[in-house]
Amino acid sequence: MSPGVEYYCPCQASTPHPPQPNLASSSYSFHALHNLYFCEECDAIRCNHCVMVEVSGYYCPNCLFEVPSASVRAEKTRYQSCARNCFMCPSCSNTLTVVPSDPPDNGDERIPPTINAAGEPPFFLYCNHCRWDSAEVGITFEKPTGLAAQLQKFEDSAPESLEFERLKEHFEPYLRASPSTSGNGLHTHSPHMNPITAAASSALARDIPGVARYMPHALSRSRSGRDKNANRQEVPDYRARVEIGAITTGYALGGGAEPDVEFMRHLETVEEVATLDQRWGNSWVTSPRSIDLKPLRIPLHSKKSKRCPTCRHILIKPEQKAQSVRYKIKLVAANYLPAITVSLPHMQAALAMLRRSGRANAEPQDGTMLAGKTYPFHLSFQNPLYDPIQVRLHVQRAIPPTQPNAPETEKARRPPFAITLPTQAFPIAAFAEAWEYDDDEDMFGLEGEGEGEDEDFDAHGPKDSRGKSRTVGVLERRANVTMIGGEVMISKEARGDMKFNMLVSYTYRSDDPEPEEPSTPSRSQAQHKQPEMKTFSFYTVVDLGTIIVRDTSSVDLDS
Amino acid sequence: MDHPIYYPKSEYIETDTGNKVSRRATIAGPQNIILGGKTIIANGAIIRGDLRRTGPGHAVVISLGRYCLVGEGCIMRPPYKTYRGNFNYYPMKVGDHVHIGANTVVEAAQIGSHVEIGKNCVIGKFTIIKDCAKIADNTVIPPNTVIPALSSFAGSPGRFVEDMPESTQEMVEAMTKSYYSRFQPDPGSAATQQR
Ligand SMILES: [Zn+2]
Ligand SMILES: [Zn+2]
Ligand SMILES: [Zn+2]
Ligand SMILES: [Zn+2]
Ligand SMILES: [Zn+2]
Repeated sequence: MSPGVEYYCPCQASTPHPPQPNLASSSYSFHALHNLYFCEECDAIRCNHCVMVEVSGYYCPNCLFEVPSASVRAEKTRYQSCARNCFMCPSCSNTLTVVPSDPPDNGDERIPPTINAAGEPPFFLYCNHCRWDSAEVGITFEKPTGLAAQLQKFEDSAPESLEFERLKEHFEPYLRASPSTSGNGLHTHSPHMNPITAAASSALARDIPGVARYMPHALSRSRSGRDKNANRQEVPDYRARVEIGAITTGYALGGGAEPDVEFMRHLETVEEVATLDQRWGNSWVTSPRSIDLKPLRIPLHSKKSKRCPTCRHILIKPEQKAQSVRYKIKLVAANYLPAITVSLPHMQAALAMLRRSGRANAEPQDGTMLAGKTYPFHLSFQNPLYDPIQVRLHVQRAIPPTQPNAPETEKARRPPFAITLPTQAFPIAAFAEAWEYDDDEDMFGLEGEGEGEDEDFDAHGPKDSRGKSRTVGVLERRANVTMIGGEVMISKEARGDMKFNMLVSYTYRSDDPEPEEPSTPSRSQAQHKQPEMKTFSFYTVVDLGTIIVRDTSSVDLDS
Repeated sequence: MDHPIYYPKSEYIETDTGNKVSRRATIAGPQNIILGGKTIIANGAIIRGDLRRTGPGHAVVISLGRYCLVGEGCIMRPPYKTYRGNFNYYPMKVGDHVHIGANTVVEAAQIGSHVEIGKNCVIGKFTIIKDCAKIADNTVIPPNTVIPALSSFAGSPGRFVEDMPESTQEMVEAMTKSYYSRFQPDPGSAATQQR
């Protein structure tokens, strides 16, 4: 892995402090800055694990037709799929094309939604990737339009469709009785279950011995929740119309009985058997023959709004139009927190050598840090705010999280590496449009003719590795970017990833001087001297790459 | 990072609008090709502006917007089909801030803006790629595929993998601009360089 910095969202933990970077839970709690949101109301970072997601619109990913949300909800749609002419190849999942009976001239197809009226019926669906063809499985169409409607007749009369309809009827009363769950997120953190989930899990606990042990909700309910009458509503048994047992006794293919054996005995090529992947989305027992695969509906995609899980303010609200990439509301963390990037001067030097020697596409490689050595590294901070900020860094001590208050007793366990960072706060200038953009006449030209800071900055590398005084501290300030130098001392016994947690605190001028809220953990104590200044702190994990050992024989073993 | 990507100065021609075209790229039918400015055509790329619709007059075959990159060894070829008995080529339109990785073959009809296409991909004929989409390395997109905005595709055939983040537009724009500003003639390769 190449060096990088990720940001912490504390939603997965009960403390504001992140897990140690070597723990598996660490990667789940840290995110790239561009994947994070920021709630101004709560003054907190939010991530895709904790935001509440709402569908704000549906569209077909193939014909891009926008389907009104109301009709998706109301219609007994086929699993919310495109109701026009869009189908997926059951064999390779490519989009199918409608073709007339005249065989297509070698790759001469149209863009699916624009149907070429020319051509002879019957029409069929054709895959221009794997050459699957619906005529081979007995599906043809009289007209090249309204295919979904034409196919619907077959689909509706399929036994599993009828069964599904009956199931829905059976559960309808309970769905209606439950408090509205519509529109509220894929997951909310509400501790209580709705009655349907409760009924389903109690049924499961009843029918499958031992399962209740793994369902904390079911357990707690049986102990204390008896009085909740909503949950007391038991759903009566459902009698399936299609008996799985009847099929397995041998009438149908896929039941594992005689017909399957017979089919397998007469196989000529392995392609005659549909793969598990191809049959995975089908219900119950399905034929193992690839010749029985049917064209698949294309599920709709959705545009999503996102809300803060705590205060419910909207963080993301896309524009209505399906293919628009603009947003009415977009509160992303990148507009609030400094963007931090890490680089290793010794690796950059090696890379520059490779590129100069003609390997223009050379990429940074890992495993360039040797155990027992000391390396400088650079962290550059880019300020997105229109005001200057002061940043202070703090390396989280590498101790097990179980004993956070006993650093002294942990002395025996020597950390595998030591990080040195500037201890003083350092400034980053304000963001100004002129620095970022743009455009034609032009910052790049200015830069080239001007002071040539780029070269300057390159020159730091070799100098730093000798003169220690220049390694740690502020190395460069340019526009709204400040670059600082740090140093890592790797012990001889160190192995594995060079990762450490770093707390970043930045002080900025607040527009609205409001009273401090002591309840928010990420906000530090009030800055009493200057009431209009505020400090926001967040954790990051800095990954400097992988440590390799000097002995070349064991390098081979490791890699 | 901010580190420059050097090329030998003699290897690229820079136009008035800042396009940088490799002398080792093949630009067929240049009169039918439009480059929006600050677009880079890398070594060994082949752009077939010569494959134009039959008939009189001037025709734009391939147009690329600003801050695009056609990677090393890429082939950009307009899509073609036989319609009502006539064989014809159709134009290819590419938006701004589009990066195409090395050795990818593109026969798309339309590529939006802020699109990233990986290395070693095949983008089939008449494919439509909407804004802020991303195609992973080694993906094969069959002909006529539609790739919605803000979606990422991978595999063979290419399938939808996941939604792109909401900040994709800003990220890709920053990436393409940074790439262009870092793409510099090697100061060591020519005596005429400043300093
Ligand atoms: Zn979160
Ligand atoms: Zn959460
Ligand atoms: Zn559709
Ligand atoms: Zn197929
Ligand atoms: Zn909030």
